[in-house]
Amino acid sequence: MLEVKNLVKTFRSGDTTVIAANDISFSVPDGQFASVVGRSGSGKSTLLSLLGALDLPTSGSIVVGDRDITKMRDHELIGYRGRSIGFVFQSYNLVPNLTALENVMLPMEFAKTPKAERIKRGKSLLQEVGLQDDQMGRKPGRLSGGQQQRVAIARALANRPQLILADEPTGNLDATTGKMIFDLLHSLSRKEKTTIIVVTHDLEIAGKTDKTFHLDDGRLVSNNRS
Amino acid sequence: MNPVGRGIRNAFRNGVRTGAIVIILGLSIGLSLTMLVAQRAVENKIKSVKSSIGNTITISPAGFTPGSDANNALTSDDLAKVQKLAHVTSVAETLTDRLPTTGSSAPTFGKFGTGSDGGSSTSLTSPITLNAHGGGMGGERFFISGGEGGSLPADFSLPVSFIGTNHPANLTTDYSATIARGAQISGTADSNNALISSQMAVKNNLKVGDTFTAYSAALTVAGIFNTDNQAAQDTVIVSLAALQRLSAQGGVVTSAVATIDSLDNLGNATSAVKSTLGSNADVVSAQEEADNTVAPLNSVKTVSTFSLVGAVVAGAVIILLVMVMVVRERKKEIGVVKAIGGSNLRIMGEFMVESLTLAVLGAVVGLLIGVVGGQPVTKMLVDNSTSNTTTSTQFQRPGGRTFAANAEPNGGFGGRFDAGLRRNSAVEGLRNVKAQIGPGLLLDGFGAAVLIAILGSALSAGLIAKVRPSTVMRAE
Ligand SMILES: Nc1ncnc2c1ncn2[C@@H]1O[C@H](COP(=O)(O)OP(=O)(O)O)[C@@H](O)[C@H]1O
Ligand SMILES: [Mg+2]
Repeated sequence: MLEVKNLVKTFRSGDTTVIAANDISFSVPDGQFASVVGRSGSGKSTLLSLLGALDLPTSGSIVVGDRDITKMRDHELIGYRGRSIGFVFQSYNLVPNLTALENVMLPMEFAKTPKAERIKRGKSLLQEVGLQDDQMGRKPGRLSGGQQQRVAIARALANRPQLILADEPTGNLDATTGKMIFDLLHSLSRKEKTTIIVVTHDLEIAGKTDKTFHLDDGRLVSNNRS
Repeated sequence: MNPVGRGIRNAFRNGVRTGAIVIILGLSIGLSLTMLVAQRAVENKIKSVKSSIGNTITISPAGFTPGSDANNALTSDDLAKVQKLAHVTSVAETLTDRLPTTGSSAPTFGKFGTGSDGGSSTSLTSPITLNAHGGGMGGERFFISGGEGGSLPADFSLPVSFIGTNHPANLTTDYSATIARGAQISGTADSNNALISSQMAVKNNLKVGDTFTAYSAALTVAGIFNTDNQAAQDTVIVSLAALQRLSAQGGVVTSAVATIDSLDNLGNATSAVKSTLGSNADVVSAQEEADNTVAPLNSVKTVSTFSLVGAVVAGAVIILLVMVMVVRERKKEIGVVKAIGGSNLRIMGEFMVESLTLAVLGAVVGLLIGVVGGQPVTKMLVDNSTSNTTTSTQFQRPGGRTFAANAEPNGGFGGRFDAGLRRNSAVEGLRNVKAQIGPGLLLDGFGAAVLIAILGSALSAGLIAKVRPSTVMRAE
């Protein structure tokens, strides 16, 4: 269970204060596939960074399992990000100087998984996301956008996280590829029983998820199916 | 792929840039090493000069001026007091004099021309001739600095030096002389036994047991020594007591060297000798003398030390700027690694390996520069600084007995058993600084590289810590 209570995040830039998350409360049961929709600048990415402990909220709490991540110390946050969360970004964000396989193995290295196991799991994950063997040794620059996002999904799954946070994972892809990537995300999370929260513009995609959150100007306006 | 491997691989992301950085770093590390080589070489030389000069104190009459009759004399009585001081193990006393060859005309240059008792002469003829260098009669090439120059008569021959000493063995050591025939004389006995050089023996047809005349007395050749020292070749060595008697200078000493039991006591003993003799004498310890001698080298050492520090700092600044640039360039990437569970330390470690890789490659280039440049740069630095001081060093010595050191090498005219003269050769020796380029240099190069890499990564480590993982959420 993911439980968010009275989450507030404000950014101060010069004289103006932006309230990017304005008293947001919701919960997502384990294994659910939820989506977040809203206009650009409505606070979707901010919400994901708070859930993924990439940033600390101004106030409010985020309880994952039985732990409030807003009260964690720095080293605990690093562990939480590495082991409990899998990120998928719009711009893939693979490490450019590492091969596809090395990118997938990196979070496992941080989690101190033995090397042999890292290689084994890395290869099988890449196979699952549909990467060919000869593409595993390539660096991201020599892979297409869709292939890069497949690698990113494999990397997000590497440490068997409780929660996958995907920020517009299909935003840079054409419609067909985007749909394939979304289906992949969907089926893998089903298989691994992972909770997924995906930010999207695509209402068709959002319609396929278990739950949709609408954000407007930092506020959660509805958590019904649209 | 481990963090070390990634760090090394990251160093080669941009080949052209890496190449440029390595070359610049190589120059800076090469300069560091060159300076290190110079500094080591000079340091070794300073050490060896200091240790070779030893724990002695040179004592000479105060304000001794050649050609003056108003000179204070140092006496054996004064030196007996010195001998009694704590830590003084021995006092080698010498009296120097010179006599013209009987029947030769001599130019007048004060005391040195004719000897203090006036009118004395010797049957010996100096083996040293003035026009040995091809100068015409009259010795155009003869150069007297410091004395009132006189014109040289045609039948002039160089006066013969006499030295009386209570430690003849010290003297022969100073000359690097070996007794070839006969025996060493006693320094304590007041006898007419004398040592002469083999050149003197040949020139005057003398062999061991023969006699010659000096101060109207008959002296016996007790031993004949071989030496390469020009100054020693026209010198007759007798015991101190004998020369004091013969030259009618009872108790007079022209210079003395006190030996101290250990180098640690040299400073104290020097003060004690100074206070015992008061203004009567100039007292210079070997320590001071060594300090004066190595002064030019010390300046080389300073220059090379500053350059060393400067070059290391320059290298560190290069790495620093490069690493700051690299961290800024990869800000997003750092954020991504943090987002997937990488700690600051891990990321910093990777960057450290990257800067080390650059520094080590720079060190390899630098090592080549150091190996090629070490010796010539050392030589250049040493030559420049010692050539400025050689001349002035010659005249620093109180007593002025170095005054003939500027004479033609063959002249050997003037002061002999003189520390000043020895120092001139010491200064020549200073030029002979050998830059050592051994396996130690490899370690130094590696050490410099590590130091540079660590200093240079310090700032980038701070920047890495400041990268917020949430930057990954920003669309670019
Ligand atoms: N680091 C930041 N500093 C200042 N303002 C920020 C920062 N991050 C987000 N914002 C502001 O917060 C609001 C929400 O942004 P964001 O969460 O990126 O929206 P979305 O992802 O829905 O487009 C925007 O007005 C944005 O300008
Ligand atoms: Mg966004």
